[in-house]
Amino acid sequence: MANSVNISIEAPIENQIQEITYDGQEIYQAPLSMSENLARLAQKIDFSKTEDEFCNIKKEGESTSETKSEDESKEPGYQSSLWPWDSVRNKLKNALTEVCVLADVLSIAKEKRYMVLDPIQAEPVDSRPMVQVYGRKKALGAAGAVLLAGVERLRASETMRMTRNMPDFHIDLLRLRQNWRLKKVSNTIVGDLSYRTAGSKFSQTGVFEVTKAPEEQIAQAMSMNASGPAPSALRVTVPPELQGVAFISVLCQKEQEDVVTATLSSSALNCPGTLPGDGAELHWQQKLEAAQNVLFCKELFARLAAEAVQLDATIPHMVVGNQIMATVLPGIQLLIGLCHNNGQNTSNANPEGVKTEGSSGKSDHDHVLEHSLHQLLRAVHHNNTHHPFPHPATGPLGPSKRRSLAGPMAADRYELLEMSKEQSLLEQIIQQAQHFFMRRRSEYVLDTIAKEVKDPLIVSHWNALNSPTQSCVKINIMAYGYDAVCRTSLVVHVGEKTLKCICRDGKVRHLSYELQELRDLIYCQIYQHQMTAVQAVGRCMGWQLLASSAHLGSGPVEPLANASTCLLASPTGDRMIAIRCEPSVGIQVFIAQSPRKDFFASELVQDKKWENLGGAFKEIKLEKMEGKNFLNKMELLMACLSSPS
Amino acid sequence: MHRNLPQNKEALLKSYTTRLKEDVKSMLENFEEIIKLAKGENDSQLNRMTQIEQDTYEMQVRAANIVRAGESLMKLVSDIKQYLILNDFPSVNEAITQNSKLFRTKQQECDQKLMSLRDDIAADLYDLEDEYFTSIYK
Repeated sequence: MANSVNISIEAPIENQIQEITYDGQEIYQAPLSMSENLARLAQKIDFSKTEDEFCNIKKEGESTSETKSEDESKEPGYQSSLWPWDSVRNKLKNALTEVCVLADVLSIAKEKRYMVLDPIQAEPVDSRPMVQVYGRKKALGAAGAVLLAGVERLRASETMRMTRNMPDFHIDLLRLRQNWRLKKVSNTIVGDLSYRTAGSKFSQTGVFEVTKAPEEQIAQAMSMNASGPAPSALRVTVPPELQGVAFISVLCQKEQEDVVTATLSSSALNCPGTLPGDGAELHWQQKLEAAQNVLFCKELFARLAAEAVQLDATIPHMVVGNQIMATVLPGIQLLIGLCHNNGQNTSNANPEGVKTEGSSGKSDHDHVLEHSLHQLLRAVHHNNTHHPFPHPATGPLGPSKRRSLAGPMAADRYELLEMSKEQSLLEQIIQQAQHFFMRRRSEYVLDTIAKEVKDPLIVSHWNALNSPTQSCVKINIMAYGYDAVCRTSLVVHVGEKTLKCICRDGKVRHLSYELQELRDLIYCQIYQHQMTAVQAVGRCMGWQLLASSAHLGSGPVEPLANASTCLLASPTGDRMIAIRCEPSVGIQVFIAQSPRKDFFASELVQDKKWENLGGAFKEIKLEKMEGKNFLNKMELLMACLSSPS
Repeated sequence: MHRNLPQNKEALLKSYTTRLKEDVKSMLENFEEIIKLAKGENDSQLNRMTQIEQDTYEMQVRAANIVRAGESLMKLVSDIKQYLILNDFPSVNEAITQNSKLFRTKQQECDQKLMSLRDDIAADLYDLEDEYFTSIYK
């Protein structure tokens, strides 16, 4: 150690540098004195730390002293600036107290007379957390599964609709809403297919219910016809009384013999085979239209039946079950029946098998009658909603314009009663049926006369412009080849129960529904035509009309009209033709010659001049003559007689 | 009746709003409760296994509640759609106008065609009648 090198140890600067002046001189702080240093270090002691640990131990013992000591330990913190040793003193005092208490406790415990210290059983290691974690994991898993199942269900229904092109309920509902009236009543969607909004006052309701079709059925329907139209997601339920097919059959009977059958039906009902009994796959639009048609037919029939009961006709109308019977013309009855086939039982409602009879007997219906039946009720509906202007600001809406004017015009009771009369549907239909029969009968008469009478041609032209209760036919009577010389034309207006003939001479004749009258009139016109035509031909040939009479008084009494005659003289005056026309016999032609070319004096007629008085008439056998028709024959005869020979 | 209707509608619309809020709230609350259960802070006097079982069931029920709220929301969407479809009168009016316009044009077309057809047939009928009645075949 003696050889050891001396090492000089310089103590590091113990004093802190307070300031460095600009010339580099360091000014040190004065070193702390011993007492100052002690106080500084004593202040650094953190008594609270130890105190906490101490308190923890002490917690098991008594708690009152703890709070007290804490209170005290805080105080010196605030007063440390006053006296640095205060906290130290307090801590030490507390420690002393604790130690004293500990000593007391120990001494008491040691005596074992007042207190025994038992070892506390250590708390066993808690296995609870792991079990709980597993339990919660399981519980969360279950909850998640429930959520996933719910999501899966939603997604499945959505994807099924998307991928398989399932029809959307709401889109179908929108389409339905655009065409039909719908409203929501509590939880159901209810629609109305009645004609109320169009002006109908029928009491029966046309309520139907809209529901969602079950998805399985849609899928099934889609698989059935993949190429066909997509099935609807809607299900429409109509009340049972409106299900099926209905139509109004109009049947005109003539002594139990069918004359005509008209059927009121919509286009869908013309082929009832397309409407299956179970309307499951039927589209809702068709189903509703069919139901609406049923309702319409019912309303029409109910109205007609009510009118049939109310009307007091000479021959009362009968309403029996689903059938109305009305007399149109004597011997002809109009049967209006309501046929309702509601799918369950096929042909119970047909009155007396109208349908089968009509289809087998007369397959072609009168579409004019069918259409007019439609039109009549719709016109009533239209009038119910469309009132004539101006609408009164107060007072009832609906009286006609004439009735509105009745007040200012001071109409009397009779006029008002006249105004209140309006034709019922049944009356109008009967009128149309009557007109229909009148037209048919007139057609028949004209055609048969045209067939019977060959000589003057009878050409009838039916007017294209006519109304349901009035039509018009123009009849031309003329001879072939002589239509420029003479033609007789007359017009016949066919009404409901009467005919009106306007003849060539301007005379108007009203005929009844008995068509023999028309027949007689036409025959008269034919013979009248022949007479005038002969005269016209004679004029053309230069013959002279000596006399003519349309109503000859002589001869036997004609059952039909009167006989007419005319007398024609040749241009030279030596020949005469006499024509007598009796509608029942026909036309007779006589000729006479004066003077005769060869004169033989007899005892009675001695001079030739007497021959100028005219000779005896000789009848000509017309049927043996050359010529196409009567006028032709007459022309030839005249030509023959005029030739100087 | 007329005054009643808007009130009903108003009440219905309000009920839709409340349904929406209730369902969303129910979803949120149930989710929160599940999370709380998963935390497991509640001390109870029940047996541990019983507690776990109870928690499991509660979670399942709450999850089912969430699903129910979701489906209720779907139902609400469907109800609102239905309400809109049934009460959207402007669009219904538009559809009616369009339909009536369509049918009117169709009617006009049909009328025109029928008229021209009638004219043609009438002219032809006149000639045919002439021909028929002047012929010897009747």
